[in-house]
Amino acid sequence: MIVEDDPNDVELTLTALTDHNLANEVVVTRDGQQALDYLYRRGEFNTRAAENPAVMLLDLKLPKVSGLEVLQQIKSDERLKMVPVVVLTSSHEEQDMMRSYRLGVNAYVVKPVDFHEFVNAVKELGVFWAVINEPPPGSLKK
Amino acid sequence: MKAMKKSVTMTGLAQGPTRAGVGRRMVYWNREFQTIHSPVLRYGFAVVSVAIALGVASAMQHYQFHDVELLVFTVAIALSTWYAGIGPSILAVVLSSLCFDYFFTQPLYSFDVSARELPYYFIFVVWAAIVASFSAVRRRMEDSLRQARDNLQVEVEQRRNKEDEIRKLNQALVKRAAQLEAANKELEAFTYSVSHDLRAPLRHMVGYSELLQRQASSSLDEKSQRFIRTILDAAKRMGNLIDDLLAFSRIGRAEPETVAVDLAQLVKEVVAETGQDTKGRDIVWKIGALPVCRGDRAMLRLVLVNLVSNAVKFTSMRRPAKIEIGCVDGNMTDVEVFVRDNGAGFDMQYVNKLFGVFQRLHLPEQFEGTGIGLATVQRIIHRHGGQVRGEGAVDQGATFYFSLPKVPEVAERRRPLHDHTGTHFDRRGRPERRGADSDGADGP
Repeated sequence: MIVEDDPNDVELTLTALTDHNLANEVVVTRDGQQALDYLYRRGEFNTRAAENPAVMLLDLKLPKVSGLEVLQQIKSDERLKMVPVVVLTSSHEEQDMMRSYRLGVNAYVVKPVDFHEFVNAVKELGVFWAVINEPPPGSLKK
Repeated sequence: MKAMKKSVTMTGLAQGPTRAGVGRRMVYWNREFQTIHSPVLRYGFAVVSVAIALGVASAMQHYQFHDVELLVFTVAIALSTWYAGIGPSILAVVLSSLCFDYFFTQPLYSFDVSARELPYYFIFVVWAAIVASFSAVRRRMEDSLRQARDNLQVEVEQRRNKEDEIRKLNQALVKRAAQLEAANKELEAFTYSVSHDLRAPLRHMVGYSELLQRQASSSLDEKSQRFIRTILDAAKRMGNLIDDLLAFSRIGRAEPETVAVDLAQLVKEVVAETGQDTKGRDIVWKIGALPVCRGDRAMLRLVLVNLVSNAVKFTSMRRPAKIEIGCVDGNMTDVEVFVRDNGAGFDMQYVNKLFGVFQRLHLPEQFEGTGIGLATVQRIIHRHGGQVRGEGAVDQGATFYFSLPKVPEVAERRRPLHDHTGTHFDRRGRPERRGADSDGADGP
């Protein structure tokens, strides 16, 4: 599951995942509200199966509900706190990193400017969380 | 307030009853009674006192109260001394003596003094003089006490004024601090937004250029390929510039620690680290004795890393390259450390541009780098209360100096080296992360 407002970033991330055959089963939500709606199966997502994503790639700067707020909501909810969350952001800022880790993020990745590095980072994340990592029970199996 | 100040500084002389308030009025009348100012009045007071005393003494004698005249005159002398001062008191003594002689000693109604009465008369004069002098002394004491009290009042007043002033200054300071804090917050918000928002479009430029390169590499001619490469390089360079600028501003915001830092140890580490990047190069290192100084270890390390890697970078065409690190004992409070090389050097004409952000004195083809290294050095040293300067000549090498406050006590030198566990900076001043940065530190 990807939470990212910027269509270019979405495309680049999906391109990187497609390159490594990881793009099937990717859900893209475009803001924090939509992401929470998806997780809680509200609104447009009320018919989806009751499974949590294997991993959530979360941007910090999002319209409506910010990434940190989404993170806080997830990590304070008994049913959702097990969902692995990876912050994938442009920000190097120490305060973002500190706050994310304090809220219990599972990983913090700064999007590299270099495209190869970016593709590599996304691939590694995809491979690790979707293939290598054993997701918590109740997660969507790949 | 001004009028009041004036009133207390002028101690008791010629003041009109101008002040309001019962307390002050009391003080005023008290003072007016204590001192009669006009000389005529003062001497007149003495004469009148003695005359009254004479009248009272005569009346008493008339009513057969004998031997009280001495007491009555004494009272008159004391009063004159008390209220009118030294001159009138002498007059009162003389007048009383004369009156006493004329009216109360044998032979009566004559200034002659009989031999029998002479000691009696003499005792009277002495007694009168003693009373007068005691009275005068007491008067003087009271005057000086009053003076002291007035001075105290003035001081209290001044202190109150000063306290008011301090309070006002304090308020101004608090206001200023709040303004500064707001400005700082704004600046932080700015760098935060730069960090978030400026890098995203860059990433897209790089990403889509790469995609284009991949997608259309077969159909593009060599020129178009070069254009795409230029776009990529420029975007990456801009990414580096933004990263450097953010790191630079982060140094400005981080509060430096002050622990004892062994510069000799630090230089050893930095040179060893640089040595890994300079395998195959012929570099002669000369490292002199270096002191222990106070500062933030991570930041000072960054200073040395920047200066040393600059020296390495700008001597790349020398065989052998000579790099010297040492210290000159500047003065009592500061120690000055220098890094000298025999590299490309610079024209002293541009010395004031050396430490500017993104200022470069060489073409990018000659020496790589964004030009933030020395700006970082300067910022760190300034934050430590020191100074930086550079000396050099084209093709003659360059020397960079920085000064730092000395460790004051000898005991401090013996302290074990502080193992710094705070933020670690890479050579650009960014907190250390992936080891992806391969290019050297930057400089002119």
